[in-house]
Amino acid sequence: MRTTTGSRVLKAALLAGAGLCIAGSAYAANPLVKACSKDGQFVIGFSQANNAEPYRQHVNDELTAAAKQVPGFTLQIADGAGNVNTQTSQVDNFITQKVDILLISPFEAAPLTPAVKRAMDAGIPVIELDRKTVGEPGKDYTAFIGGDNFKIAEEAGKFTATKLLPDGGEAAVLEGLPSSTPAVERLNGFKEGVKGNAKIQIVAEQAADWVPDKAQTAFAAMLQAHPDIKVLYASNDMMAAGALLAAKGAGKDVKIIGTDGLPGPAGGIEAVAKGDWAATFTYPTGAKEAIDMSKKILLDCATSVDATVTVDTTAITPENAKALAGK
Amino acid sequence: MSDQKIEVAANPAVPSAAKRRVDPLAIVVRFQSLIGLVLVAIGGIIFSPRRHGEILFLNPDNIANIVRAVSETGIIAIGMTFVIITAGIDLSVGAVLGLSSVVTASMMISGGFGLIPTILAVLVMGIVFGTVQGTISTRFRLEPFIVTLAGLQAARGLALIVSGNQYINISYGDGPGLAPPVFAVLGERLFDNTVPVATIVFIIFAAIATLVLNTTRFGRYVYAVGGNERAARISGVPVSMVKIAVYAITGFASALAGIVHAGQFNFGSANDGMGYELTAIAAVVIGGTSLFGGAGSMVGTVAGTIMLGALANILQLNNITPATQLLATAAIIVLAAVLQSLVRRREGLGR
Repeated sequence: MRTTTGSRVLKAALLAGAGLCIAGSAYAANPLVKACSKDGQFVIGFSQANNAEPYRQHVNDELTAAAKQVPGFTLQIADGAGNVNTQTSQVDNFITQKVDILLISPFEAAPLTPAVKRAMDAGIPVIELDRKTVGEPGKDYTAFIGGDNFKIAEEAGKFTATKLLPDGGEAAVLEGLPSSTPAVERLNGFKEGVKGNAKIQIVAEQAADWVPDKAQTAFAAMLQAHPDIKVLYASNDMMAAGALLAAKGAGKDVKIIGTDGLPGPAGGIEAVAKGDWAATFTYPTGAKEAIDMSKKILLDCATSVDATVTVDTTAITPENAKALAGK
Repeated sequence: MSDQKIEVAANPAVPSAAKRRVDPLAIVVRFQSLIGLVLVAIGGIIFSPRRHGEILFLNPDNIANIVRAVSETGIIAIGMTFVIITAGIDLSVGAVLGLSSVVTASMMISGGFGLIPTILAVLVMGIVFGTVQGTISTRFRLEPFIVTLAGLQAARGLALIVSGNQYINISYGDGPGLAPPVFAVLGERLFDNTVPVATIVFIIFAAIATLVLNTTRFGRYVYAVGGNERAARISGVPVSMVKIAVYAITGFASALAGIVHAGQFNFGSANDGMGYELTAIAAVVIGGTSLFGGAGSMVGTVAGTIMLGALANILQLNNITPATQLLATAAIIVLAAVLQSLVRRREGLGR
């Protein structure tokens, strides 16, 4: 008797467990967006941090181009104008509109976190581009797509160590806005990258807050103090442009490396193509990847997506710059 | 909307015939921002995207978005109304907001102060900041434009020093390094998740300010100083005191907005409130308050503030570019100013 009862209990437990499993898997098999369909019409809302930054305009352009390729997608871009209050209200507006997917590059992490949560609670998948809010991708928001600042700068460092200064020499770094995350990551990444060549010395590092005029002033001063600087690593393209002016002013031939690889006549790709800079390393926008992920969610009814997508950098050197500049 | 009458009564320089004449244009100007708000709302209803027949613009969540988004600039605009009625200007408000949000965050997070001491200290700091500006301006007979421009730089500088050039995240809980959880209520909505707390602060402050401006002796003094300073002085109005007081009010308002900002966004940064001074001045001017002083209304400012928010909202709901939004705001400011100037000329008050 006792054994039978025991086995019954066991069976019941097993059945219940199986039931739970089925329920669990049925839950997991739900598509992220219920209204998904191959030929549906969908609105994607993109909450941009600040259109005034050239890099962010570049993101907008690439996103617009990528969204155009998908017939059922309409992309709406709202400009947070570098103001967390404005950006929050724009995210709320997107929730009111019930956009099908929210893309966001938060101007600051913590302030935009509640707005992202509200979108998730409203059943809108949130893909964060380039900058994150607080929390874990895959849990507090659907996914993060972006470049890895440290790795990109590390590539630039390795390029310096092996291609530009294989025999060693003096190098300098222009840092972005002090204490901002990308500035710190790019500075550390570059230093890590050049470590491979012990004969390279970093003789100067200064902050120029991402802007060309400060970069020009700072690099002019660096060249005064260290006339033998052979390579300058600038943490973005705009500072590289400023540094070039300083080098020209001092009559020095310095190999300049930019970061971001912006297109257009004032961008880094053109500067490398013209031979003004030695290289620039693209900071990928992730625009194509974001639209691809949106397609998976909205058209292919994906039940899950990669929580973190790291997009690799491309080294823009004189060899490939001309071809890319034409694009 | 009895403000204009009060102004006239308190202003001996205005010929008494002017107040008897009923000028339709003057009425339009007096209510221009309310009319504008109604027009924007009607436009919003007509042009609003619809979902299943529901007008999105009128969705309660959407209305909450609009009034939440304008609450910080609204609080500042209320303070600014006092200053502008005295024919002054305060450019430091956005920077004082930034300073206040940084001080709020750092007092609670690294200072370990409680909620009440922090809020009181920040409000007092705002009042002191404004009082110093007002005192410098009246004592040395300096244009408030210059004094508060300096104040803007000073407040941003102080904010950078206090924050150590970092932004300060506010995390909640008990113990050192954490803020009292009740502070987070500023980012929430009350009454069945409908009314944003930030908006409630804005509305309460607006109500108190309206009472002060319209029913107290101080309110009449404010109009008198802006209407005709010399006449006010001769009539025994303590002009310098009134002028200092209005800057103390904007300082208080900016500090209050800074606290609301920190609570809404769990965050203090020296860059907070960048450019808010201009939005606030725009709201005040659209609200029918004259930059020449002496005339204006609090209800107008509130309506002007909400109108700008509603306009931005309806443009975004229809996916119209931010550039168009700026152009629309520009057109409205010019229209508001032109209407005022026409009325002044008709009343023979051209100053």
